Amino acid sequence: MFEMILTTGVVHLTIGNLVMWLIAFLFVYLAITKNYEPLLLVPIGFGILVVNLPLTFLMGEGEGLLWKFYHYGLEWEIIPPLIFLGLGALTDFGPMIANPKTLILGAGAQFGVYVSFFGALLLGFNIPEACSIGIIGGADGPTTIYTTVHLAPHLLGATAVAAYSYMSLVPIIQPPIMRLLTTEKERKIKMRQLRPVSKKEKILFPLVTVVVICLIVPASAPLMAMFMLGNLFKECGVVKRLADAAANELMNIVTILLGISVGATMSAESFLRPQVIFVFIMGLVAFAFSTAAGVMLAKLMNLFAKEKINPLIGSAGVSAVPMAARVSQVMGARADPKNFLLMHAMGPNVAGVIGTVVAAGVFLALAR
Amino acid sequence: MVDWVLAVKIFIFGLLAVFCSLGILIAAIYGFGRVLKTFEKD
Repeated sequence: MFEMILTTGVVHLTIGNLVMWLIAFLFVYLAITKNYEPLLLVPIGFGILVVNLPLTFLMGEGEGLLWKFYHYGLEWEIIPPLIFLGLGALTDFGPMIANPKTLILGAGAQFGVYVSFFGALLLGFNIPEACSIGIIGGADGPTTIYTTVHLAPHLLGATAVAAYSYMSLVPIIQPPIMRLLTTEKERKIKMRQLRPVSKKEKILFPLVTVVVICLIVPASAPLMAMFMLGNLFKECGVVKRLADAAANELMNIVTILLGISVGATMSAESFLRPQVIFVFIMGLVAFAFSTAAGVMLAKLMNLFAKEKINPLIGSAGVSAVPMAARVSQVMGARADPKNFLLMHAMGPNVAGVIGTVVAAGVFLALAR
Repeated sequence: MVDWVLAVKIFIFGLLAVFCSLGILIAAIYGFGRVLKTFEKD
């Protein structure tokens, strides 16, 4: 009888498992009731729950179901590039092509990545770990996961959850920083309506971008190539079925696998460590500095530009598409209800995705 | 022990790569835009 009881998971439960269950329930609760990144937090929360059920061996090396998802999906670099394929098929680079200057804002917003990188080093993390923590500031979930799997897989759960949590908290984190760094007059700056972008320009853009970025940072090729392929599907207009599949069915399937694989890495023994708290703190620092750098760079550009840029669009350079752009729009409309910044903010927003992939590529090339 | 030389190298190369690649993209967008306009006029 006693031996039979020993074969159940109940007697092997630890306090750590119970704490992780609470975290799992919290994620599912936040996703369902507060709508915080539900597409990710529901499978992540569920993954956390099941991986903390004793004796299930779902993450057992070589045999566990979730280990197979993790190993073949993430370690084999399959899932993040496929997510990027879907993102590419969903992204409209038109606003950025119409006003290419805004690409600079996407670059400036990567500053927080490096602030957090050095902060993590000062807190005692090694260089690969600091790279994985710093990239959270790019506000790009798949890139964070891709970088962490290669450089510090033991931090995957923490960095992925931090990235997605802060992305969903963009409307709370960014506005105070944006208000602090801009004057009422600056927030009221109206920007000229964007010119229409031709189909030819939109088709050329992914082809040129993949060549430019992959020549400069070859390590970013897996993400960048798939991103631009997805965008070419969308813009060329002759493979609508492929564009739809990449943006919908494929994206949904890989999102499920990504979420549950990330959740599965969060066993009690790997997640309940003081290091994880530092990851969350540095992730927040990265986000805050990226937002501030984007706004400040826009102000700097205004010193030289004939046509003024509303500095509120600078904060959209942190990626988090399209949430960060929406925050710029809301802040601008609050200063002047007739101010429409959304399309202007989409430029730095999508440029931020490219900037983050480049930053990740350099991390992978130099820190691996 | 942190290799600070490597850390600084990552910082400088990283920031340079981000700004250079996006800078080249800006030039490419303007350049291709002009070429396409010329073709369309012709």
